[in-house]
Amino acid sequence: MRIIAAFGEPGMRNSQPESPVSSISERLPGSEVRAAFSQLLESLRPDLLRFAHWLARDRAIAEDIVQESLLRAWRSQDSLKDSGAARAWLLTIVRREHARLYERKRLELVSLEEVAETHAGPRVAQPDGDLFTLRHAIMRLPIEYREPLVLQVLGGFSTEEIARELALSPTAVLTRLFRARNKLRVICGMAAAPDVTGGEALS
Amino acid sequence: MTCDDARLSIGAEPGSTGPALEEHLLACPACRQFREEMRALDGNIRRALEHAPEPLTAQRRTAPAVWRQWALAASVALAMFAALAVWVLRPSDTLARDVVAHVQAEPESWLATQHVDAQAIEAALRGAGVELNITSNRISYAQSCWFRGHYVPHLVVNTTQGPATVIILKHEQVSARHTFHEAGMSGVIVPAGAGSIAVLTRGGGNVDQIAGQMEQDVRWLPKTS
Repeated sequence: MRIIAAFGEPGMRNSQPESPVSSISERLPGSEVRAAFSQLLESLRPDLLRFAHWLARDRAIAEDIVQESLLRAWRSQDSLKDSGAARAWLLTIVRREHARLYERKRLELVSLEEVAETHAGPRVAQPDGDLFTLRHAIMRLPIEYREPLVLQVLGGFSTEEIARELALSPTAVLTRLFRARNKLRVICGMAAAPDVTGGEALS
Repeated sequence: MTCDDARLSIGAEPGSTGPALEEHLLACPACRQFREEMRALDGNIRRALEHAPEPLTAQRRTAPAVWRQWALAASVALAMFAALAVWVLRPSDTLARDVVAHVQAEPESWLATQHVDAQAIEAALRGAGVELNITSNRISYAQSCWFRGHYVPHLVVNTTQGPATVIILKHEQVSARHTFHEAGMSGVIVPAGAGSIAVLTRGGGNVDQIAGQMEQDVRWLPKTS
């Protein structure tokens, strides 16, 4: 899928191109670097979209988040010193963009009906592994559990990295990850493991 | 390491390992079993996450409220209307789509406010086999762009109806005039000379009128051998 930047306002002609695929960038000095960066963003876009989708739980919002994140990344591409770290860097931008959007619009507010469904008890997965049920169960996890889980499993972040990103203690991250998996464990038909977190606070 | 420590570690990071944990697992079949279960679960979690989630509403089991039914009906109607609109307003062929995609990929072309000098216009037209009877102060963007295997002039011309993108497609023959509306742009591709001319505007402007004017302003040069 192409990245299509929003059209800017007149008077921006000499400003930095906003689109990662802006073809004019290929005619500017350093065009090869920019082209490589564009290519890098494009190649990681599906990962970013999937990640954003799991955070926002809405495809259109995820698209917006990724689009905005790519524009931010494009503007601050000089701060990426190691292209090997691009994926983690971009995932972090996406996460922060989601957090910004969440703060602005309170997108994570869910209806009481959804909350009731979340706590309605185990929904046993079919034999042969019902990923559909599991996907919905993950989707229904509260954000404080879903976010570290997605960061860990999809993003490949370590506990320490998640702790830094979420401004939590490593112990709090372990607690959230344990509880997230424990909830999913129940939904998948297994007995809940005793909460060994010692009633750790989530922060 | 206690069982609680081991289970916290396994539950949080099923793939984790370490001397203390392994030592505990050797002596504790229950925790070993717990790790096997959590690793199996984690494999499923990974597979689940690698697919995009479906909308939350897909698995609702409770009866929807009345307003939800109305909202659903409205959504369906809106979706049908949108589908109809997309079908009616779709680019008439792949050439139109390619033109739209090309213009979208060069958003800076719309932002230019100063006129392009004659040299830049000449560079844009070079090799395209056309001349323009337009004064350079009406052209705010001129590039020779790679499009469908050829370099084509991509211009933004300031008309009395606002800026219009003009792409001269010497190598693209169309049998008839095609209009299209896509991505906030209105456009037309008209047969002209040896090929065709695409004209696109944003937010207004009579593309047919502009295309008609361009047909007069573009002079197709004979092929040189």
